[in-house]
Amino acid sequence: MRTLYKALLVLLIAIPSSIYAQESSVSGTVTESTGMPIPGVNVVVKNTSKGAVTDFDGNYTINNVQKNDTLVYSYIGFTTQEIVFVNQSTINVTLEEDSSTLDEVVVVGYGTTAKKDLTGAVNQISTEDFNKGQQNTASQLITGKIAGVNVTTGGAPGDGSNITIRGLGSLQLNNSPLYVVDGFPISNDAVGGSRNPLDFINPNDIESITVLKDASATAIYGSRAANGVILITTKKGKGLDFKFNYSSTTTLYTPTDYVDVLDGDQFRALVNEVGNDAAIGRLGTANTNWQDLIYRDAFGSEHNFSTTGNIGGFMPVRASLGYSDQDGILKNDNFTRTTAAINLKPSFFDGHLKFELNGRGMYNENTFGNRGAIGSAVDFDPTQSVYNPNSTYSPYFTWLNSEGNAQYNLAPTNPVALLNEVDDTAEVRRFIGNAKVDYKLHFFPDLTATVNLGLDKTNSHGRTAVSQALPSTQLDWDGSYSFYENESTNKLFDAYLTYDKDINDHSITAVLGHSYQSFYNDNFSYDSEAEQEGNEFEFIDKYEHVLLSYFGRLNYNFDDRYLVTASLRADASSRLNPDDRWGYFPSAALAWNINNEDFFKSNVIDQLKLRVGYGEIGNVNGLGNYLFLTRYTRSRTNANYQFGYIDNNPNFIQTYRPEAINENLRWEIGQTLNVGLDYALFDSRISGSVNAYINKTEDLISYVTVSPFTNFSNGLNANIGDMENRGIEFEINATPIQTEDFTWRIGYNIALNDNEITNLPDQVETGGINGGTGNNIQLHKEGHSPSTYWVYKQIYDENGRPIEGAYVDRNGDNIINDDDKYLAEDPYADITMGLNTNLNYKNWDFAVVSRVSLGNYNYNNMASAKSYQLRATENSILTNLHADTYNSGFQNLTDGNLQSDYYLQDASFFKLDNITLGYTIPNVFSKDSNLRIFGSAQNVLVITDYDGLDPEIYGGIDNNFYPRPRLYSIGVNLNF
Amino acid sequence: MKMNFINKLFFIVPAMVLFSCHNDLDVDPTIDPDSFTEENVFANETEAKSALAKLYASLALTGQEGPAGQPDISGIDEGTSQYSRMLFSLNELTTDNAVVGWGDPGLPDLHAMSWGASNDFTTAMYNRLAQEVSFCNSFIDNAQSLTNSDEVDAFVAEARFLRAFAYYNLIDLYADVPLVTQVSTNVPEQNSREEIFGFIETELLEIQDLLKESGANEYGRVDRVAAWALLSKLYLNAEVWIGEARYTDAITYSQLAINSTYSINANDENGDGSAYDELFKADNDTNGAQNEFIFAINFDGNSSRTYGGTTFLVHASRGGSMDPAAAGINGGWEGLRTTSALVNKFNYAVTNSEDGDPIEWADGRAMFYTDGQNLEINTIANTFTDGYAITKFTNVDSEGNPGVDEGGDFVDTDLPLIRLAEVYLNYAEAVLRNGSGGDIQTATAYINELRQRAFGNNNGNITSGDLDLDFIIDERARELYWEGQRRTDLIRFGDFTTGSYLWPFKGGAQGGTAVSEFRNLFPLPSNNILINTNLTQNPGY
Repeated sequence: MRTLYKALLVLLIAIPSSIYAQESSVSGTVTESTGMPIPGVNVVVKNTSKGAVTDFDGNYTINNVQKNDTLVYSYIGFTTQEIVFVNQSTINVTLEEDSSTLDEVVVVGYGTTAKKDLTGAVNQISTEDFNKGQQNTASQLITGKIAGVNVTTGGAPGDGSNITIRGLGSLQLNNSPLYVVDGFPISNDAVGGSRNPLDFINPNDIESITVLKDASATAIYGSRAANGVILITTKKGKGLDFKFNYSSTTTLYTPTDYVDVLDGDQFRALVNEVGNDAAIGRLGTANTNWQDLIYRDAFGSEHNFSTTGNIGGFMPVRASLGYSDQDGILKNDNFTRTTAAINLKPSFFDGHLKFELNGRGMYNENTFGNRGAIGSAVDFDPTQSVYNPNSTYSPYFTWLNSEGNAQYNLAPTNPVALLNEVDDTAEVRRFIGNAKVDYKLHFFPDLTATVNLGLDKTNSHGRTAVSQALPSTQLDWDGSYSFYENESTNKLFDAYLTYDKDINDHSITAVLGHSYQSFYNDNFSYDSEAEQEGNEFEFIDKYEHVLLSYFGRLNYNFDDRYLVTASLRADASSRLNPDDRWGYFPSAALAWNINNEDFFKSNVIDQLKLRVGYGEIGNVNGLGNYLFLTRYTRSRTNANYQFGYIDNNPNFIQTYRPEAINENLRWEIGQTLNVGLDYALFDSRISGSVNAYINKTEDLISYVTVSPFTNFSNGLNANIGDMENRGIEFEINATPIQTEDFTWRIGYNIALNDNEITNLPDQVETGGINGGTGNNIQLHKEGHSPSTYWVYKQIYDENGRPIEGAYVDRNGDNIINDDDKYLAEDPYADITMGLNTNLNYKNWDFAVVSRVSLGNYNYNNMASAKSYQLRATENSILTNLHADTYNSGFQNLTDGNLQSDYYLQDASFFKLDNITLGYTIPNVFSKDSNLRIFGSAQNVLVITDYDGLDPEIYGGIDNNFYPRPRLYSIGVNLNF
Repeated sequence: MKMNFINKLFFIVPAMVLFSCHNDLDVDPTIDPDSFTEENVFANETEAKSALAKLYASLALTGQEGPAGQPDISGIDEGTSQYSRMLFSLNELTTDNAVVGWGDPGLPDLHAMSWGASNDFTTAMYNRLAQEVSFCNSFIDNAQSLTNSDEVDAFVAEARFLRAFAYYNLIDLYADVPLVTQVSTNVPEQNSREEIFGFIETELLEIQDLLKESGANEYGRVDRVAAWALLSKLYLNAEVWIGEARYTDAITYSQLAINSTYSINANDENGDGSAYDELFKADNDTNGAQNEFIFAINFDGNSSRTYGGTTFLVHASRGGSMDPAAAGINGGWEGLRTTSALVNKFNYAVTNSEDGDPIEWADGRAMFYTDGQNLEINTIANTFTDGYAITKFTNVDSEGNPGVDEGGDFVDTDLPLIRLAEVYLNYAEAVLRNGSGGDIQTATAYINELRQRAFGNNNGNITSGDLDLDFIIDERARELYWEGQRRTDLIRFGDFTTGSYLWPFKGGAQGGTAVSEFRNLFPLPSNNILINTNLTQNPGY
């Protein structure tokens, strides 16, 4: 840092200093704006080597200062101040927190650093750069903002996101990044009744989100960080005075489009043409748009209140309350969430002892609109009315069996009935809290000891009540009721030492620590139907796993020119056998701040940093808990077996099944090499980075074929292959215009990623689809991307229409079977881009966020399973067709038709995600209070060639997709 | 003082926690009440009996939850992975006996005889049978830790029978497979059909005296008659499988089974004129049929649920204008029908409709549903009405009452895998193939016993002059259709792949066509070939 300012000096006109200098000494205290002393502040006499560092009370003394010398006060994360010495005996300085990019404090694992000192591929997005508008969940805040970070969020309120960072690193294991909230790594296992493991955190409480992309940055988190790490830092108390914030948003959600099916008249015409007399006789006279009946315009609103201040001058505090109530566009769907959070950061003994206490509670009520209605609204005959008062299941129109006493077993259920008669609700209570203590040793102040204790407890209750009025195929149907309760408890204990030392041009930070985390789950469920049948009706499912770690990291900085980071983490997982349990994950990174070299002085370039990093990370995330142990599972009472009789009644006895076992499971290891360049020009008006990486996954765990006769299952998870991701990322953020009244900022990022399975002795079918029983459409195979579509090559006639059942006989044996399928495209984008811009003019602000995805392919399962013509009249009922029937003309549902590449479509897209316009009224009540009013539109525009409802489908299989609504929001944000 | 305390705390507390938490890595799976250790399971005879039950259940059911959940086999729909359902797919759908209209992956290829080396059904069946071998090996090994008793000896003998039965299926379907008799994770070597034939034979001969006496075991478990009956099947196929005629042995062991306590069911409980239909009704464990079942797999609409087994046979065969309630179920799955080739085997004493198609038969085994069904098939896919439907398997009992599942989903009917009538036919065939120790008069009497039951009178009886091999293959079709035997029988008679016998859509052609001879065997699963280099794929695949 000192070097940086030395370098700056060269650019400055020499400050005249008095030759009649009179030497004296100066002392003082450096504090934050909160009044807290800042230890470790560099105080130097400009243009000399004289200087001092503040002690833990923020005090400093410098001798031999001459009049008109300039004192420079600098500290990481704070704006540097210069004060001219005019013989004051005391100079007390208050440093302001710095928001300029290069000195920005970036949260990294078990510590923080300045952005300019980073050695890995790290992005940090802070409040002002978050996506605006209605954002339910943390991940939405950064959608489209970071190269190589792909966020796919579902369409239902409160839905979670699938986030992939730099492609898929694993076939079988969890591909989600690790989320760390205020130093607490949370479990990303789904919680029953909850829509999203990140729901507990109110996006309004988030200060910044940091994404660690490469292994040299993530390796300190070891085994859970294989897919990158997302560090969420919540807002903390600041300032001495209490300030308040209230914000409120009201949102309208509207469906954008429906699945393209035949309307009543089209369907009547078709059945009259192709149906027999019986089928034609079943036609109704109505024109019912079933999809129109199950979707609606939905409203949502949210209110957030927060306060920040300081209690007693030593304890910054922030507290917040949030309430959100949102309907889904699928009728009945509702998400209601109340969150409360408190953060306390008291410090004692002149800052030697610091506490950070975070408590966060959530109460979430979910009402789930029945998702089955999405498919049945597509299936249901559009010539029938919704209601039929004469039906066995009055008032609903229902396809009945031949006796007329129950629903016909192959018929779709009336979608309106599904919505009205199925009541599916859940409440989730979650508390997540941690207490962190930093103690800077009095006798050795370079050393800080930190202990972090955390508890994450979730309790959810859910129930599904199906009314007797719901049409059922069961003859004795009288409704059903099921109930579940899940409780998960995760505990964290971290302890680590941080050693921080600057000696001349050398700066060292070392961290050594231990971490223990346990995950315990206890689930209970109840089923009324089973009880009525006299079967087992209460089920308990308990499991746990434990992760134990030691870690160390060394950062070395020479003269702000050369930066070295090395880390090692040792992890032990209870999921692996004792011999293979420990994994050792090293990383190393070098960075060279070229701009700080003497030969590279430029008044244009603020930063030019070359980085090289390498790291290894293990992964067992998402692996079963006990796969290496010999276990037997008992049968439930529906799967018992009769041996003889007791008192003339069959005697059904329980069975014990030995479970597949893999004693040799080891860590899946990801090795990433990353080369990057960070740049900043023109006072950081232009900044960004370029990264290139290779990420090899070795000992890839996949669910693979077991050699038959050698185990108790035909497949199990084993370390069997290798996979590779290669990519290039480019990011640029520019401020083309920056005047007092007008600022224009623009950000663009692009990422290219190529994912390939480089070694897999087996091939693994995946991607189950609707239509037939057990059809898959994708394959994991060596030499290809994971989940590559495995399809027949369709043959077309001269008019370009597909010929049913005609596929290219690729192996030329005159037989069309599996051996003729080929590996076509894959569902993952080759190129993703984000483009966003912010305009501020006086009190107006305007932001646009957009994304591009290129080379991602979808399999249109709605068309493939629902457009064959015989479907209209088969099975003694009428079933609506997808309008693609007019294009394909296919008659039958065969495995060949289903697996034809005819249904594979390029789903590249451009999406205009978000447009927000806001106006801020300053000093609205008083000085320091302001009011911002804004309006936004989200999911505004989609440009794509894809024929289905939405091209953005995680995994690529378009089947009964909950449509993403368009959102219109207005809101206020009041600071006072 | 205060500082000191805190300083110490920060070193002592972590140190304490560190040591205590290393032990936490050894987690205990049995905190889940459904999870058990080997010590729990083989603690005593009663618990071990539950492990034995799994060896039987894995042929009847598909997982530990019923009807679906915690499946035994992965990579295929759970219901589809049930043993007898796959046996039906491989041994009946590939023949004149059955077609199915569904678009399940690889399913249409079966009747079209165009399956590839990665066909889902041939793969899953191989996996199911190999898994059964592993289950049995593990049980036999662990049962040694039990205290010796007659019951434990019987357990082990039954496990050995089930292992032999699995291998019988394996060499029938796939021929050369690994012979594995110990639990081991070593990648196995391939053995020849001859070696495995020898193993099955040796095992069955050894356990015949270790299994319980004829009729002495409880219902659902096998006794020594099962070993004899399986030997009779094995020897009958020996000429095809290992090139060695063993018809004399086939007669010997058929005779032992025939002379046992098992008997052909003659109890026409529902009084419809034939005691044949009772064999496939919901009460076939009590209506007399059980006396004919040498080895059956048991189902129950409440306690033993699957989407395979008889639930599959009853539901999948219903559709069109058929009344599902008449079959004791809530609805058909509109899938299975038969070809005219099977119907035409019942070409005697027939009543025809106006257009000349048969609608009634004197033979009670001709259980066809014709109303709204076309005798000849034009379209297999999605067209239930092409081809006669079959009502042989039903979920109503002899009184006409439906099974115990009030929802009408799951079926009670047990499914015979070996019943005495088949052994009668084995005997007759072995005699006709010049085995010694039997005679044509006895054979004719056995056949007539079956036909009298079928007709309800002796109108269908034959003379010993009528009895020849052509008659036998057709009689086996009439007696045993849809019971998982047909492909094996057609191969033994040289009719499966050749042009000597064609049926509708054989080889994918509407009129039928011969296919390559290599299709007498199914392929070893292609993914297995990939990971086990010791294996040589069957020719043609």
